[in-house]
Amino acid sequence: MAEGEIRIGVYVCHCGLNIAGSVDCKEVAKYAATLPHVVLAKDNRYTCSDQGQEMIKKDIKEHRLNRVVVASCSPRLHEPTFRKTCEDAGLNKYLFEMANIREQCSWVHLYDRKAATEKAKDLVKMAVAKAALLQPAEEIEVPITREALVIGGGVAGIQAALDLADTGYKVYLVEKEPSIGGMMARIDKTFPTMDCSICILAPKMSDVGHHPNIELLTNSEVVEVKGYIGNFHVKVLKKPRYVKSDCTACGECAKVCPVIAPNEFDAGLAIRHAIYTPFAQAVPSTYIIDMNRCLNKDGVIVCDKCIKACERQAIDFDMKPETIELKVGTIIVAIGADVFDPSVLPNYGYGKYSNVITSLEFERLINAGGPSGGHLIRPSDMQIPQRVAFIQCVGSRSDRNGRLYCSNVCCMNTIKDSLLIKEHWPETEIYVFYVDIRAYGKGFEDLYKRAKKEGVIFIRGLPAEIIEDRKTHNLWLIGENTLQNELYKVNVDMVILSVGLEPRKESEIIQRLLTLSKTQDGFFMEAHPKLRPVDAATGGIFFAGCAEAPKDIKDSVTQASAAAARAGILMAKGKVTVEAITPISYADKCKACGLCTKVCPYNAITLNKELKRIEVIEAACGGCGTCAAECPFDALTQNHFTDEQILAQIDAVTEYDAEKKIVAFCCNWCAYAGADFAGVSRMQYPSNVRIIRTMCSGRVAPKFIERAFAKGAAAVLVAGCHPGDCHYINANYHTKRRVERFWEKMEKNGLNKERLQLLWASAAEGERFASKIREMQTIVEKVSREEIESSKKVFEKALGGS
Amino acid sequence: MPVRLWRKPLDAEKVKLPKAEIHILKNQCKGCGFCIQFCPKKVLEESEEINARGVHPPKVVDESKCIICSFCTSVCPDFAIFIVEKPCKEGC
Repeated sequence: MAEGEIRIGVYVCHCGLNIAGSVDCKEVAKYAATLPHVVLAKDNRYTCSDQGQEMIKKDIKEHRLNRVVVASCSPRLHEPTFRKTCEDAGLNKYLFEMANIREQCSWVHLYDRKAATEKAKDLVKMAVAKAALLQPAEEIEVPITREALVIGGGVAGIQAALDLADTGYKVYLVEKEPSIGGMMARIDKTFPTMDCSICILAPKMSDVGHHPNIELLTNSEVVEVKGYIGNFHVKVLKKPRYVKSDCTACGECAKVCPVIAPNEFDAGLAIRHAIYTPFAQAVPSTYIIDMNRCLNKDGVIVCDKCIKACERQAIDFDMKPETIELKVGTIIVAIGADVFDPSVLPNYGYGKYSNVITSLEFERLINAGGPSGGHLIRPSDMQIPQRVAFIQCVGSRSDRNGRLYCSNVCCMNTIKDSLLIKEHWPETEIYVFYVDIRAYGKGFEDLYKRAKKEGVIFIRGLPAEIIEDRKTHNLWLIGENTLQNELYKVNVDMVILSVGLEPRKESEIIQRLLTLSKTQDGFFMEAHPKLRPVDAATGGIFFAGCAEAPKDIKDSVTQASAAAARAGILMAKGKVTVEAITPISYADKCKACGLCTKVCPYNAITLNKELKRIEVIEAACGGCGTCAAECPFDALTQNHFTDEQILAQIDAVTEYDAEKKIVAFCCNWCAYAGADFAGVSRMQYPSNVRIIRTMCSGRVAPKFIERAFAKGAAAVLVAGCHPGDCHYINANYHTKRRVERFWEKMEKNGLNKERLQLLWASAAEGERFASKIREMQTIVEKVSREEIESSKKVFEKALGGS
Repeated sequence: MPVRLWRKPLDAEKVKLPKAEIHILKNQCKGCGFCIQFCPKKVLEESEEINARGVHPPKVVDESKCIICSFCTSVCPDFAIFIVEKPCKEGC
């Protein structure tokens, strides 16, 4: 169909006033009509609406369009929509191209209609130039293994595993602690219903333990993940428990164990033995030996008391770590969050004053199964406190003292805790020092009102300092009541720091293993904050619970069920199509040098030495295009991002006023998304930048940069994900290497190397992108006529056909 | 678990570990030092005194640290050391 005459239809979208507010869409459409191969150019209010899509379908048929360009929002938002429109009208979806004139034009140049319109014209011209060279492509299908891996056995992981297992899929649940249960198992009651936390969780934990479709791997960690959507190969390190599953959890062994240690489960407020079970309801109930504490080291059995005590002979000091290999189709990441350690805040004295405790310690103290049997006692003298203060936002909402974000759960947790105290000891005076009380959820406000009615005193303004009375160990809280503009000095028996949540330390390992991205907060980033909130950007991976952001139990469970459903959809289909952005190799040009095989992050290219050619495994290809950028003989290019197409875009940018423009190559996942985010946040930056989207910055071949300079561009920006965060494992390290080499080349030829910039910006770093453009604007202004001419000359060769 | 464990557990006093009574038959010792070397709690050390066999027998540094694993008894080639559990009186 793509053969013969090329007939392009261009649709310029107003997006209500989102685009039309700062871009003259009519003029852009009129301009588009003058471009080569364009047979039709229209502007309309909402191209993505049903009418808009119907119009495109009708035009494809009536005007025999064989390429479609829509100038509207980001392709990250609506490319799938319009691709489907094209397909519905019988046009291959790879014959569709988008010009991003909203996030990367109208929203970032709100107050300069002329410049924004000019830029929009350029963006449309680039899209048209690329569209003319687009080729239809067929997507290959990859089968999906109908088994899932859930990482993390907190309430989110438990829910996700149960939902998937109940649907009928085999689930592997990996938990690094000896028991599943996570944070919820430690909490006494849940808000706002005041249910007993472990009472509602324990049945679910036990379901996990008994479910025929769930294989529970506790005391285990994921150490390697290879493969791609539908076909992940995972290695799990199962650390030895030194107790076989014959264990009946009778506890005779712990009774005789002569070694004691603080129990992590009770926040160190109770002791356990070296052989122990973290808590009564643990699943699996099998005991475990803590080898860091046990006297038997390096295979020498010094103490055999537990062995003698165990009637079932379940203790086995010869157990070795095992590596278990799994093949799964989907992965759910439910690794949860850590709690903030308040000992970094010297003014609150945590770790120094024994009666300053954290909310997690409080949960164990008020819990009937906890170390104090449910009596809220203060650690210094084991007495029940008469006056208690809660301090909110410890480690939250402050970039100086902890984290900038709100941890979501602490306000309600404190209100719940204050009511628990009132329930047992109604006479207790309770003060809550807060910044704002955020009671946003169902039933939350009622609980807040109830706490106020019960006499809990809420004071706005956090204490500046806590001072301990050395004799009584009572605490003085000093600060300012910001509602009444007065200073307060309150004396209490015990202070509870309402600590925030922070990303797990291990999340960096998981991030690296699964090539995920994170937001600035350090939590994992979803594929789309509104429409794909549980999907990771990497196919086949989903998030549940606090791994994605701090959230309460209800939200964690909701998200876990959503993640299970999303994973279930993939597995029910049983197959997935791989985007046709794989490499195309030209055997006649290939010299079988093997450079491409070395840079491929997925080992998807192999060198056939006998036939002197390369072989591409398309299903394993991630689609970064790094191989194509590496090939010195032009024997390799990337489908849908071919050399010709990208060069055509560069040529379109540099046709007029090149000496004032910045040609930017942005990777789809981080830099391009970051530029979109700058748009969404309406961050304004200079309008002379033209962004060319590639899947990865690794696709940016030096010849593209050469071409831009040869055509007289003032500056070039190559932007990708932060090193280590690359969506394609490590492809951006090749970007770094190529840019560094290019700088050397520029220096050698007497060119100002500042004109080529390299930027690492994540999808959340819109401001970083915007400020880079502002910074480059000053460079562009300094570039002289002579410099442009000399770079034109140096890279003259790049003007020859590609 | 990232929670820092700095407090003395509330029930630390309540948990009763058996108390040991270490008996060393000094003159039976030939000073091989196995008991000192293998004690997992480092309860023993070489003493200054010289026994009938002309060697330094071990002495007890801190009897309260002993957890009665009796590994010293097992490794002693001369049957020169044994442990008994102290009888428990008045909550020990």
